[in-house]
Amino acid sequence: MNAPTTTAATLTPTLTPTHPARVLDDVAQMIVRILGTCDLEDLGIGMETSFHDDLEMESIDLVTLAGMLTGEYGADVNLAEFLADKDLDEVIDLTIGDIVDFVVSRTGR
Amino acid sequence: MPVIDVNGLKINYLRIDGQSDTGPRPVAVFVHGLGTDSLASFYLTLAAPVSMAGIDVVAYDLRGHGRTDQPPDGYTIGHFTSDLTGLLDALGIERPVHLVGNSFGGTLAFALAVTCPERVASVVSLESEPPTQAWADRLRSTLAYVKRDLAREDTYLWLASTFGAHHARLSRTAYQRLSATTMAEEIPDGPLLELEDLDRLTCPVLSIIGDEGFQADDPYLLQALLPDCRTVIIDGQDHSVLVEAHREVRRLVIDWVLEHHLTGDATADVTAVTAVTEGAPTGADAG
Repeated sequence: MNAPTTTAATLTPTLTPTHPARVLDDVAQMIVRILGTCDLEDLGIGMETSFHDDLEMESIDLVTLAGMLTGEYGADVNLAEFLADKDLDEVIDLTIGDIVDFVVSRTGR
Repeated sequence: MPVIDVNGLKINYLRIDGQSDTGPRPVAVFVHGLGTDSLASFYLTLAAPVSMAGIDVVAYDLRGHGRTDQPPDGYTIGHFTSDLTGLLDALGIERPVHLVGNSFGGTLAFALAVTCPERVASVVSLESEPPTQAWADRLRSTLAYVKRDLAREDTYLWLASTFGAHHARLSRTAYQRLSATTMAEEIPDGPLLELEDLDRLTCPVLSIIGDEGFQADDPYLLQALLPDCRTVIIDGQDHSVLVEAHREVRRLVIDWVLEHHLTGDATADVTAVTAVTEGAPTGADAG
């Protein structure tokens, strides 16, 4: 995996829509929309950022994110299916990078 | 996520069509628990695999929970079950559904199975019991204790150091729900069921419990109280059996719904009942 270590702060329009860096940017924008009041720069979202401990998101926020991912990338990006195979601890420890890798794997980069 | 107006509230819900083209598909409605819970616990565990097994899935946030509206009051069991039938009506789901309830969600499923039996094909109860006086007494004292304990800031420090930051955050969410509403006071008011009311709970029931869960002391109590109940005990599990043992629960739920879908179809056609039920499995023979 060529997962970028930089944080998502700027859009990367020259990359293909399913390039990991572009997906990271898109997922970060979705999280800003879910959290509502936060600014993308302040969040400092990177591949290692965790949903629960770093962003303090709730499980119900993951359901909202799932709908956004399907809307953006199509029905093959089914987060419910991806998470149903994980244990509770893995869901609690879920990182942005896990989501980005999942999107990239399903969109056939 | 879609929202729909029911009883003056915006109810947050999900509907996933089952992946099957043969005949009318069974419908499973997931009803989550009290306090920290939301439709997410079902979404993250059962929703995808159950729909892929050819079962239509509906999950929703109870009033006061998740992304559904949180009115300050109106939290009797009657309010919750009215929301459930209202949601089914609003979604145009007329045929009986298989209710899969986690903890308090199962209690609501039992209540609806008694008051509106025509809407309920079966109940899968995950660490749940019907709303009896004994249940209400325990819940009232538990909720009062939790509400008092979670009002103290040092409780969250202890929770974080003992169970982790995630658990502490969930508890804070639960406290917000309990302190901003009358649910802790209203829910134990029922309306409750008398023991003889349980004789009218005639739909098939699958009771899934952890061997260290809330029913550990008397794991076959439901089976003794209900006309048609099968009990499955999962070893090494406490009350969180849905999220901790979701692979096992998923298998049990899929098998249960598909098995009772065949039986349920037969009840719609009187002439078919005899032919089908003679060979069809029922809950009565299981231990």
